[in-house]
Amino acid sequence: MDKKTAVYICTGCGIGDALDIDPIKELATDDLSVPLCKDHPFLCGEEGVDLIKKDIEEEGVNTIIICGCSQRVNYDVFDFGPDKIVERVNFREQVAWSQAPKEEDTQMLAEDNLRMGCSKANDTELPEPYKAEEEYSKDILVVGGGLAGMTAALETAKAGYQAILVEKEDRLGGFLGKMKQRVTMPYKELTDTNAEDLIKSVTENPKIEVHISSTVEKIAGGPGLFSVDIKSNGNAVSERVGAVVQATGWVPYDANKLGHLGYGKFKDVVTNVEMEEMAAGGKIARPSDGSDVKNVLFIQCAGSRDPDHLPYCSSVCCLVSMKQATYVKEQNPESVNYILYKDVRTVGQSEDFYRKAQNDGNIFIRGAATNVGEAGGRLFVEADDELLGEKVKIEDLDMVVLAVGMVPATRPDEIPRIQAPPDTEGADEEGKIEVAADSGFFANTALNLEYRQGPELPTLKYGFPDSHFICFPYETRRTGIYTAGCVRRPMETAKVIDDATGAAMKAIQCTEATAIGMAVHPRAGDLSFPEFNMQRCTQCKRCTEECPFGAINEDKDGNPLPNPTRCRRCGVCMGACPERIISFKNYSVGMIGRMIKAINVPEEDEEKPRVIVLVCENDAYPAVDMAGIKRLKWSPYVRFIPMRCLGGLNLVWIADALSGGIDGILLFGCRHGDDYQCHFVKGSELAEIRLSKVSETLDRLALESSRVQFVEIGITDYDKIPKIIDEFMETIEEVGPNPYKGW
Amino acid sequence: MEKNVNYDPSFAQEVFENVDAGEEIKMCMNCGVCAGSCPLRFNMDYPPRQIFQMIRLGKREEVLNAKSIMLCTSCYTCKVRCPRSIPVIDVMHGLAHYAIKQGILTRRDTANFGREFWNQVYRLGRIDEKDLPRRVFFAAGFIEGIKSTLKYLDMGLKLLLHRRMKLLPERKIKGIQSLRKMLDKAEKMGKGGAAA
Repeated sequence: MDKKTAVYICTGCGIGDALDIDPIKELATDDLSVPLCKDHPFLCGEEGVDLIKKDIEEEGVNTIIICGCSQRVNYDVFDFGPDKIVERVNFREQVAWSQAPKEEDTQMLAEDNLRMGCSKANDTELPEPYKAEEEYSKDILVVGGGLAGMTAALETAKAGYQAILVEKEDRLGGFLGKMKQRVTMPYKELTDTNAEDLIKSVTENPKIEVHISSTVEKIAGGPGLFSVDIKSNGNAVSERVGAVVQATGWVPYDANKLGHLGYGKFKDVVTNVEMEEMAAGGKIARPSDGSDVKNVLFIQCAGSRDPDHLPYCSSVCCLVSMKQATYVKEQNPESVNYILYKDVRTVGQSEDFYRKAQNDGNIFIRGAATNVGEAGGRLFVEADDELLGEKVKIEDLDMVVLAVGMVPATRPDEIPRIQAPPDTEGADEEGKIEVAADSGFFANTALNLEYRQGPELPTLKYGFPDSHFICFPYETRRTGIYTAGCVRRPMETAKVIDDATGAAMKAIQCTEATAIGMAVHPRAGDLSFPEFNMQRCTQCKRCTEECPFGAINEDKDGNPLPNPTRCRRCGVCMGACPERIISFKNYSVGMIGRMIKAINVPEEDEEKPRVIVLVCENDAYPAVDMAGIKRLKWSPYVRFIPMRCLGGLNLVWIADALSGGIDGILLFGCRHGDDYQCHFVKGSELAEIRLSKVSETLDRLALESSRVQFVEIGITDYDKIPKIIDEFMETIEEVGPNPYKGW
Repeated sequence: MEKNVNYDPSFAQEVFENVDAGEEIKMCMNCGVCAGSCPLRFNMDYPPRQIFQMIRLGKREEVLNAKSIMLCTSCYTCKVRCPRSIPVIDVMHGLAHYAIKQGILTRRDTANFGREFWNQVYRLGRIDEKDLPRRVFFAAGFIEGIKSTLKYLDMGLKLLLHRRMKLLPERKIKGIQSLRKMLDKAEKMGKGGAAA
């Protein structure tokens, strides 16, 4: 498009007091040859916006550069429609609020920010939404027919979309169907499961297609375009769906590994799942001789919160044991139940049910079981009572129930091994290595995805296929595939219903967004997508390997095959590509490179160093904004360049910047590791890995490696930003100015 | 650690049935807020939460012989702070009464004080600040009585000075008959009986 650019400078919020506006206007119109440059004391007000709108109409302005507040605020006010390019230059948080007013350095900072903004606007093109040739589907595939799966299907149908439900067993219901009763809101008494009613409403719903005794054989394509092969009762069925909800549930932890608690040794030691089945069957009786049950002891955390078994808390077992103690009391009011616990974790309102269980006279003992034995046909349990500091013995027990935790159905019993390339470190004699939990080859079979990065969802370390349950619930590392229920994390029925409803909503959102070419979370609404200049591809496979969402497949010759509907637009592939052939219409290696080059680097004798900070837009940029809002001060020599994800970091920028005389480079990325906060899962980690290889570049330029530093910044770390910058400036002062200045 | 202690729910049952507010201990989750709040904790052999757990365990002798149950001064801090709203004070007093009823007198002076207090309230409808200490002090014999009186001489003088204590004997309150009816009723309502 023919660009007609205009620069608007807001002088409100203290910008006018901190800067001389006239020289900046001169810079825009003379040096940067922008035809139109105006200032206004209150640009985000009605009058200011009308000023811009008037220019759009009368002057035909279509590229608008707004110098004012951060890009994170007022984006709705400065939205002039999809056919206009809007570029925001930060004069407020990064200049007026964090720098000394009316100083020469502050002025230079503002001018550099404007230069970068103009350069970026110059390189930006309007994105055209991706439209596949095939027709998009908006149906939702739900895998798993338990409470989560049935709820997701029902909610999908209620919202007016078609759902396809696939269950591997011969009836719907899952664990819900095997329960006697459940504890749910308001957590005062036991309630019926209503499983039969739910199953009936699912099977009778015209918008739900139910396949029982079925498995998913293959899922190919991407969101909006998934083609699914289902083996339904032995027959092959092909479906086309827009998004997938995986609700494959959980399995109880294998009690055979709990021999030290008497499981397998004594018949009357059962798991909570066996107890539930017994209760649902009608009568709780001793498995050994079928006699009545009077005294029952529940061992909580049987194998849970134990580094040798399940290291995590399943959050439901306490409530389950209290429920089963209530069954025993109902059957025989004279009975005495002991509950041996580490910590009672009845979260939220379910504390009320804990109160009920206490009030019923169940005896809670805090401590760990040390021995389970039998004397005279009756069981006894020895334990360390932590509250009394004594060893205690509970005798005359009819049954011992082990409250085992939930294991996601995705978690394999043994860590799978796959064939590694020759000479891989740590491979066994057959050349196989263990796969990591966050690889698509780890999880148990459920989806059979045709993805280069593996057939299943990557999981977190305990095998839950989640991506980050606090920041992005339901999201997984495969776009358009959402997890719900206990496969995502252990939860009780009330939460399962919420969870399944949420996942169904996300799935519907995904199909709708994909159909108009928009990205889903976290860059929801982004219309751009990566374009590959295939002529120059060297088939190095870095993009296919590094894409955190497995968006890129490979053809048989090893060429990358992008699936734009799977893409989340983070730009990690752009940073990965050594040939720099991947770019977006409004985000590319060249664009950032030219922004860096637009920075005015003063001569060495002026003693004004220049440092650029490549800053992640998701957590670090808001933190910098927050620091500005708090009026924290930092060096006027740093220039912030926002990035979609630090994983888009291309090393050529570092080489360009340093050879252009920039003294140092800071990288602000999200936290990574097990408790990562990266919005694109792997981005900041990849950036740091790439950075570790930068020494080569620096050696070639004969520069000190301390000129480039990576810092992990959480969104709450705003108070640390001035200190980080000041320390880095000291380092730069120590190593001295960049010798390439003025070349 | 020493040998195993067997769990025996029969004492807990005994407490639920016979001790004033005894059933309330079912709700205790052993968080320890009561122990942390108690101003007399350093004098107690077992903190309240441990007393409750020992009841569940069935340690009858230890509980009824505990000093703790006799030490409570009814400051109400634990009751106010208890997240489970257990009237810890009522339970402690209930246990103390039950222990006395069972003939266990771990702290004779505390028990004496309690009885004399009750008797005085019953008789006068109020406390006579001279008479009550006199009765308590001299209960252990004449010599002990003189010793205790001298020990608290300072406090007595200060009370006089601040008009907290009168020289003349206290008179009965108006309507003492009604108060006695109330106290009689209260005594019947309690499981352990108020005055042992």
